[in-house]
Amino acid sequence: MAHRNLLYLLSLKELRTRYKKSVLGWAWSLFNPLSQMLIFSVIFLYVFKQTPPIGDPSGLQNFPMYFLAGLLPFNFFQIAVSVSMGSVQGGAGLIKKVQFPHEHLVFSVIIAQFVTLMIELTILTVAMLLVGNNVLPWLPAALMVMVLFGLFATGLALLLSAANVFYHDVNYLWGIVSQILFYATPVIYDPATLSFKPLQIIANYGPTGSFITASHNLFYDLRIPGAGRLAQLVVLGVGTFALGAWIFDRLSPRFAEEM
Amino acid sequence: MSNLALTVEHVTKSFRIHSEKTNSLKQLIAGKKRNRFEEFTALRDVSFDVREGEVFGVIGQNGSGKSTLLKCMAGILQPNEGRVQVNKRMSALLELGAGFHPELSGRDNVFLNAAILGMSRRAIAGRFDEIVDFAGLESFIDAPVKTYSTGMYVRLAFAVAINVDPQLLIIDEILAVGDVTFQQKCMEKFVDFRNEGRTIILVTHAMNSVKDMCDRAVWLKYGEVAGEGDPAELVDEYTEMMLGGRDSDRDGGTGIRRGSGEVQVERIEMFVNGGEAAVKRFRTGDSIRFRMHYTARQRTPKPIFEISIEHLGGALVTAPCTRDVGLIPQIVSGSGHVDVEFENVPLLPGTYDINTGVTDFNRQHAIDHVKSALRIDVMTGKPYESGGLVTFRPAWSIDSD
Repeated sequence: MAHRNLLYLLSLKELRTRYKKSVLGWAWSLFNPLSQMLIFSVIFLYVFKQTPPIGDPSGLQNFPMYFLAGLLPFNFFQIAVSVSMGSVQGGAGLIKKVQFPHEHLVFSVIIAQFVTLMIELTILTVAMLLVGNNVLPWLPAALMVMVLFGLFATGLALLLSAANVFYHDVNYLWGIVSQILFYATPVIYDPATLSFKPLQIIANYGPTGSFITASHNLFYDLRIPGAGRLAQLVVLGVGTFALGAWIFDRLSPRFAEEM
Repeated sequence: MSNLALTVEHVTKSFRIHSEKTNSLKQLIAGKKRNRFEEFTALRDVSFDVREGEVFGVIGQNGSGKSTLLKCMAGILQPNEGRVQVNKRMSALLELGAGFHPELSGRDNVFLNAAILGMSRRAIAGRFDEIVDFAGLESFIDAPVKTYSTGMYVRLAFAVAINVDPQLLIIDEILAVGDVTFQQKCMEKFVDFRNEGRTIILVTHAMNSVKDMCDRAVWLKYGEVAGEGDPAELVDEYTEMMLGGRDSDRDGGTGIRRGSGEVQVERIEMFVNGGEAAVKRFRTGDSIRFRMHYTARQRTPKPIFEISIEHLGGALVTAPCTRDVGLIPQIVSGSGHVDVEFENVPLLPGTYDINTGVTDFNRQHAIDHVKSALRIDVMTGKPYESGGLVTFRPAWSIDSD
């Protein structure tokens, strides 16, 4: 596969050019979640005076840790999808002039964002160890869940970035939808505290909610998610990826003309 | 029977031109509105074959569908009907430096750009030095390309593109890049390509390169094939058609006039090979006659009439005057005309301006000068020569001693 090289180099480009011309460079990718953590911790603990969820069976009760275990994967997902749309749109010059597999514009973004996620999760792991949560045995399972989440994100990114070529509204719509998803996903709250049943189901088993709950299970609670949930994640990840890839494949020959 | 490198079979490509293209969901939901478009057919039933190892030219005016055809051949656009079959490893150069990232170094961009063009990393690494050497950018290769001059940028891009090592190379009119030395290098590279038996498809306006380089060519006119075959013939036919279309809007009095104005050359006409009708083009080797119609507002003693032929590029080819041959009227008044004839004009194809002039006897005082009083086109005739402005009618011989 001659274009494997292209994928590698495009991903490298994504990573290398992201923080060019900024003094702090890569540190920004950490400041952003940290500042969000501070803001939401203050709101959660001091404004709304909530009790942090207790990890089961870990027994950990630490809101910032709970928050980060959900926020980091969610941010990966949200950013990967929106940057992918921009990458395909921004690749117009290339798409109109060179024949190459357009999906690499999406894949490279996902890979670069996934690498970032791995770095962030490594730091989270260290932080978890510092607060006494030994997450090390759960990391292989966590990696598997993250890969499935990556597949899910890739599928959605392929779908939306292809649609966005034809209707730019998709991009704006995603801004709203991703915000709704953020609150429909248990990042700043514990789904168990929701009294309204439908909301609890969405938080627990909605697509992003399910992945984030699995992340909480592994990083915060220190347990393997249930078999039902794992099955759901496999279906969601593989299914969304297959659907997105199929649609992208159908639409991408028309990109050059539409752009 | 030579093998085919690429075949274009009955390719038709049309575009929808929306009166107002907004790409919005509203239109999709509104449904009907989206149907307001005009269909524009850029290519209509285009077919031709490109044989292995030949240099094949695609010529045509702007808007003839050349670029669309190029993009269909390159696989960027999908034809509505028909198909393009590519039998060789192809590389299409539609734009130099597509995908260059300004913040990355020249080195990184070489790797990225070559990868976009389909090269493996090992292949790029193996050719890296050659690429950098070809571009002549050894000392700048680790600087970000945003610091490059346009020339450096283009050179690097071209160096990458030409080193991709395709069996079939499709090139858009990008041959004329860089300075003379670099162009020379590029030409050598093309010649190498050709000698190595690779196939080249050249899409261009540059008629000379088609004539000089191509073995065969196809001529596109309004999206259809207007001719296919010998490039020299096609180019002549094409040039004639182009000039024919332009002839009517060209008139003899567009020039810039200066001088004191006692005598003025009102207009100038050109006749070819003893013809009676004034024309604006001829072929190399034809005999031509210019007639300058003058009007003298006052009696002017001993005026000198001049004519000069100047290439559009600025080179003065010839500038005779009546005094050269001792033709000096004692006085002119009223109107009249001055004729000058040139036999078997050795001008080579191109566009030339005819300037006229009237001076006093000492040629110190400009009475009337008209720059570009007439613009003429010279077309291919006999003899044909590959370069320069005039032919000295060379007689060649090669003998072994």
